Amino acid sequence: MEFWEKELETLPQDKLTRLQLDRLNLVIQSAVRSPYYRSLFSGNGDLESLRDIREVNGIPFTTKQHLRDHFPYGFLTLPRKELIRLHSSSGTTGNPTVVFHNRHDIDSWSNLMARSLFCAGVRDTDVFQNIVGYGLFTGGLGFQYGIERLGALSIPAGAGNSARQIKLMRDYGTTVIHAIPSYLARLYDVFLAEGVNPRTDTELRMLIIGAEPHTEAQRQRIQEMFGVKAYNSFGLSEMNGPGVAFECEYQNGLHIWEDAFLVEIVDPETLEPVPDGEYGELVMTTLDRQAMPLIRYRTRDITRILPGICPCGRTHRRIDRITGRTDDMFIIKGCNIYPMQVEGILLRVAEVGSDYVIRLETIDDQDEMIVEVEVKKDWFRGDLLFLDQLQKRLTHMIRDEVLVTPRVKLVEPGSIPKGEGKAVRVFDNRQN
Amino acid sequence: MAYQVSVFLENKIGHFARVTRVLKDISVNIRTMTLTNTANGWGILNLLVSDPEKACESLAEQGFSVALREVIALRMVDRPGGLDELLVKIAGAGISFDNAVGRITDEGKSAILVLDVKDPSEAREKLKAVGINELESHIVYGIPEKT
Repeated sequence: MEFWEKELETLPQDKLTRLQLDRLNLVIQSAVRSPYYRSLFSGNGDLESLRDIREVNGIPFTTKQHLRDHFPYGFLTLPRKELIRLHSSSGTTGNPTVVFHNRHDIDSWSNLMARSLFCAGVRDTDVFQNIVGYGLFTGGLGFQYGIERLGALSIPAGAGNSARQIKLMRDYGTTVIHAIPSYLARLYDVFLAEGVNPRTDTELRMLIIGAEPHTEAQRQRIQEMFGVKAYNSFGLSEMNGPGVAFECEYQNGLHIWEDAFLVEIVDPETLEPVPDGEYGELVMTTLDRQAMPLIRYRTRDITRILPGICPCGRTHRRIDRITGRTDDMFIIKGCNIYPMQVEGILLRVAEVGSDYVIRLETIDDQDEMIVEVEVKKDWFRGDLLFLDQLQKRLTHMIRDEVLVTPRVKLVEPGSIPKGEGKAVRVFDNRQN
Repeated sequence: MAYQVSVFLENKIGHFARVTRVLKDISVNIRTMTLTNTANGWGILNLLVSDPEKACESLAEQGFSVALREVIALRMVDRPGGLDELLVKIAGAGISFDNAVGRITDEGKSAILVLDVKDPSEAREKLKAVGINELESHIVYGIPEKT
């Protein structure tokens, strides 16, 4: 068995826990330099070092709302001149979620990413085509730095343009692809349309899939299409991005890098820890991030720790694939979307009501987001062109906000249930 | 000055019938209708009826998005070439229209053409200038002249 960092990856559980405790105490000490954690811990007098990792229980959770309320610099522990990069969530309404990195953080993240890729079986002899968006989205640069650290040849292809992706693959003999699972199904269709067989006409030997929830059946289908194995990747922008947890060659859950992240699974109602094997909300603490440490961050992702030891020899525990969320966020085409973002847009358009329904459907094998909205009666003039332009305007505004082009459907007034209390706004009818 | 009734309709089974049901209940007669569908799952129903104001009011009460749109009605002769004759004059007057519907008022004798234009008063002026007069609304609505 080969490892990227054998000692760290196979550290016995007791030593790993010891390492976590040491790092956690350092994190707490440095976190108090940030305005947010300084005020959080100010009532505690002198912060005593924790003596047992389980004492982390006594520290309050950090939530996305805290990040938004203290946007942009409230979690920074370092002067701004130390920072070298930021990644931010999309959106034009409200405060985005932003994470800052200093040189150490980028270095640490790149190493975790390289470790993740190596763990799945990528080697420096590979040609790695990264088919996700570059820019503020962490999947582009996160993978890029990892591929380079590992030493494989990177093709920073970016998202979209399937015909060009296939040409790149054939021109340079791509052996590994990273993409969101829903895109791979589409890419396969283009392969067929171009008369190219991905199994025989390419050098492809493995796929990395992530950034979007998918079932085991969907993974199997992708593996059958391309004739190679597809390995799961998990990450979230608040924890750098990709490189948080990754599957090894056994494809039996994702090793979560416990030297870099303290992992808790809690009951989302009681917020008490649940035993390994039981589902709950994933709560994470950064253990190796300097510029912007986060302590007990509620990811809202639902998963569980898989009990037992992985035959690969890595001692870092494995999480199951994400089965859901404890908030109303949904993911489509690799983009994280909150219904509130759509609502925010609708409130800015006088011609439509603020009630809406979002339907996620699979149409012609592609996931689509359908937004149904009512045209206000007072604005109706019987003018086809006006409605057509209104529909186009809404489409562009929502796309600019959530980065996915919706299908906006104007519906008759009264056909959408009024938003009283906790109205269900999102209906997920996707077949995958 | 005549009006047509425009209704926003989703392209769903039974939705058109909801409109006709309302008109039936208030005894309003439909003279012509056009239904425009878009690729986006909705369309607009344009109606010329015996009492547009009453129709509009009742449809609005029933929750429809409905509007009264001013239209221009012109006389033509009900024989081959009748429409062509009129359209040549309309084009000569420099009038463009978004939508149009025709109706026979007296078989073999007369018919009317109803135009949906952007600026009805401007169109009216231009038509007057070439000697075409707009028909009175009661002819469009197919009701006896009000005295």
